[in-house]
Parts: sequence; C-alpha cells; structure tokens
Amino acid sequence: MNSDGVQQDNVQPSDTQEPVLPSGSVPLYIGCSEAAQAELMNQCEDQFAQLELLQNKIVLEEPDSNENPEEQSINRLAAVAAELKMWQSIQPELLSTNSEVLLAIGTEELHKMNSQLELVLSCSEARRERLTESLKKEQAWLEEKKDVFRAATEQVVKQRLENERLSEHGVLQDTKKKILRLRDYQEKLAETLSDILEEHFPLPTNETNVNKKKKNIPLELNENLLSLHDILELLMNKILESPHDPYVPVDETFWPPYTEMLLRYGIALRHPEDCFKIRLENFF
Amino acid sequence: MSLLKPFSKTPEINGANILLVENEEQFQQCLAETIVLQNMNVNVNVRLARSLPLPMENEKSRPRIDLVVFIINLTSEASFKSAETSLKYLDPGYFLGKVCFVVTKARSAVPPERLIAVRKLAASLHCPLLYAEDQTTEGVTTTAHRLLAILRVTAGLIPMATSLYLSTLTCYTLPSDTDQLNFD
Repeated sequence: MNSDGVQQDNVQPSDTQEPVLPSGSVPLYIGCSEAAQAELMNQCEDQFAQLELLQNKIVLEEPDSNENPEEQSINRLAAVAAELKMWQSIQPELLSTNSEVLLAIGTEELHKMNSQLELVLSCSEARRERLTESLKKEQAWLEEKKDVFRAATEQVVKQRLENERLSEHGVLQDTKKKILRLRDYQEKLAETLSDILEEHFPLPTNETNVNKKKKNIPLELNENLLSLHDILELLMNKILESPHDPYVPVDETFWPPYTEMLLRYGIALRHPEDCFKIRLENFF
Repeated sequence: MSLLKPFSKTPEINGANILLVENEEQFQQCLAETIVLQNMNVNVNVRLARSLPLPMENEKSRPRIDLVVFIINLTSEASFKSAETSLKYLDPGYFLGKVCFVVTKARSAVPPERLIAVRKLAASLHCPLLYAEDQTTEGVTTTAHRLLAILRVTAGLIPMATSLYLSTLTCYTLPSDTDQLNFD
C-alpha cells in the first residue's frame, strides 16, 4: 500500500449515520394482521438465506482479475449475454400469495402514484397558466403590431397621393382632365347653339318671301342658300384656320337678312375696304 | 494490494452504499452532504476516499460498496491521473455498471485534450459520464439526484432492473470523430 493510499480517511463517521425516513423505514406491512406479517417475515428470511447462499458461492468462485481491457470487454459481453438469457427464461411470479399483503402493496403503490400524478397535475397547471399568460401577451402584441401596420399603410397611401400630385405625371393627368372637361363643355355649348339655330333661324322658304316681298321682281330663292349654322361655322373655321386673314367673301349663298343680323349685333364685321367680305368679331 | 470487490460482502437490508473518490476533496464533501439530505426510502451510506486502494484497517467494518463514483476536476491534471491509477484497484466486476464518472469545472477554460481523455476513459470502461455543476446548490442537488438514481439500481432496490442492464443504456459512447481517431 503506497503512501497516498494509506492516509485516506475513507470512513467518515458523520456520513455513516443517515437520516432514516419515516415513510420508508415503516414498511408496507404496517396495516396487515399479525399472521400476514409473520408470513411476510418468513418469506424475507427465506429470501435472505438464499441470498447468503448465493453470496458464498460468488465468493468461492471469484475468478482472478484480469487487467486486460479487451478481456474486460469480452467479460462484459458474456455478462450481458447471461443476463439476457436470464431475462428470457425468467417467469414472473407473485410477490406474495397473501391477499392482505397484496392489498397493502397495491394501496401503497396507488398512493405513490397518486402523489406523483398530483405533482404532474400541479406542474401542468402551472405550465398552462404560464402559457395562457404568454398567449395574452402575444395577442396584445399582435394587436399592437396590427395597429402599427394599419397606420403605416395609411401613411403610405397618403404619401403616394402626395407624390402623384407633385409629380409631372400628376400634372399631366390634371391637365388631361381639364382638357376633357373643357371639351365636354364645348361640345355642350355647340350642341345648344345648333339647337337654338335650328329652332329659331330656319332657312327662308317661298311662302315667307311671298308675304314680305311684294315687288314682283322675280325672286328666285337660291337653292344653295346656307343656313345660319353653316355661315357661323364657316366664319369660325376661317378665323381659326387662318387668323391672319379671317375674312370670308359674301356671295349669293349667304342670305342677306342673316348677314345683316350678324353685322348688326356685332357678331361679324365688314372688311374696312371690301364690303363683300366679312369676318367674325374678335371674341378672344 | 487489496482489490475492492462488488460481491465480497452480503448486502445490507434496505440500504445502499456509495463511495465517492476525489483526489482533491473539494466537491466530495458537499456532494456527500447533499446526498445524505435527499429524501430516500432506504438508508444511504456515503463513504469518501481520496484514492484507491482503500486502507486495510477499515476492511472489516466497510460495507459492500454498490456504486463507485470518480470525481474528476478538469482543471487539474493530478485529479485525472489519480482517478486513472485508482481504477486499477477495482475488481472488473465493478465495471459491469457499478462505476460512474463525474466531471466538474468543465465550464471553465480547460484543455480540450483532458476532456477527451476523460471521455475516452469512460467509453473504454463502458461507464456513464456525468457533468456536474459544483458552483450552485441546484447543480449539486441535481448531481446528487442523478447519482442516487444510479445507486438505487446498482444496489438492487429497483425490481426488474440490474446495474448491467442500466449501464448498457447509460454508458458513455465516444462521438464518431474521436472514435475515428481512436480507430486510426
């Protein structure tokens, strides 16, 4: 024995006295009758005697130790194989034939299981509570995030509108809209004008002429007379197409009363030098 | 040289004995106290040693040891060496599920080779390897619980479970890369 092995104080008296548990050291046969207890004790003694017998056998048959790790592995294999064989051949046997003892054992087992299950229950309840709490938290969080998302979406829409308003494209779009509106307005005006003209300024017919003109100058109404509508159109087109020369020559297709009316109400003007030419008044 | 044997003595009724081996005696003491305080239905007997072999004079009074725990402090080389030499004084029968390694201070900066050496050792002996937190009380309590769980089986207190059976499930296996190195 070498020096550092000898000085080991491997038995410490303080540790050898172990607290004995009340539940553990009071065995299960406490509730049984004396007969059952005695039977149990007998059984225990039998078992212990058998154990001692086996113990002696082991001590006698203790083989020489071998340090070789490989052989240790083989030993292990052999031991595992032996154990396997034992498990395979073993027959389950009753703990005790005494019903009283079995009842006591069963009761104890059930109590044990009950307490364990209670632990599991309380544990899972605590867990559930925690999960519920975290669920609530998560939901609140989700709500918050949704609000933020909504606000952000609104902001984005607002920004996009702003951008459109400011950008060239927006301006173009606006102008297009204006043009469309104006075109609509113009069309409406034109329609109204043509309606009015059609209703109030019809082309002269023979009957009207007969009443008015008593002179028997052969009045041949020119078949090609232009309506007031056409005259106005002609004037307007001319002034728009060639602003430098807006005059339209007056010929026989122009019914004189209409020409006169236009001139009198300042819708048309006569050419200062050529009285056979008229133009539209400058309205713009 | 006295070899510690797993079956040389008759077991105690309703009792279990655990032997904590640590060269530096730092973690050993508080772990032992924690184990003793745990709520167990059996009498747990904790024995402490700095290294194996155990002295002859206590041979008679020493009960059967059901579980041998080697505590290895990763920050000191001596701790590992001591555990390695102590292993020689254990009967091979102990390696059928009655030995367990506990590594402490793995969190601090330690040379990785030392951890790998411990892992290789545990793997080659087919023993479970636990990592223990020795700074906090929770860590110590957890370690005590884990050791007690193993102890209950190795002491034969759990019906239908044997230490060999448990150890085939819990023994440490090397990760494939180190395995590969080993193979080469």
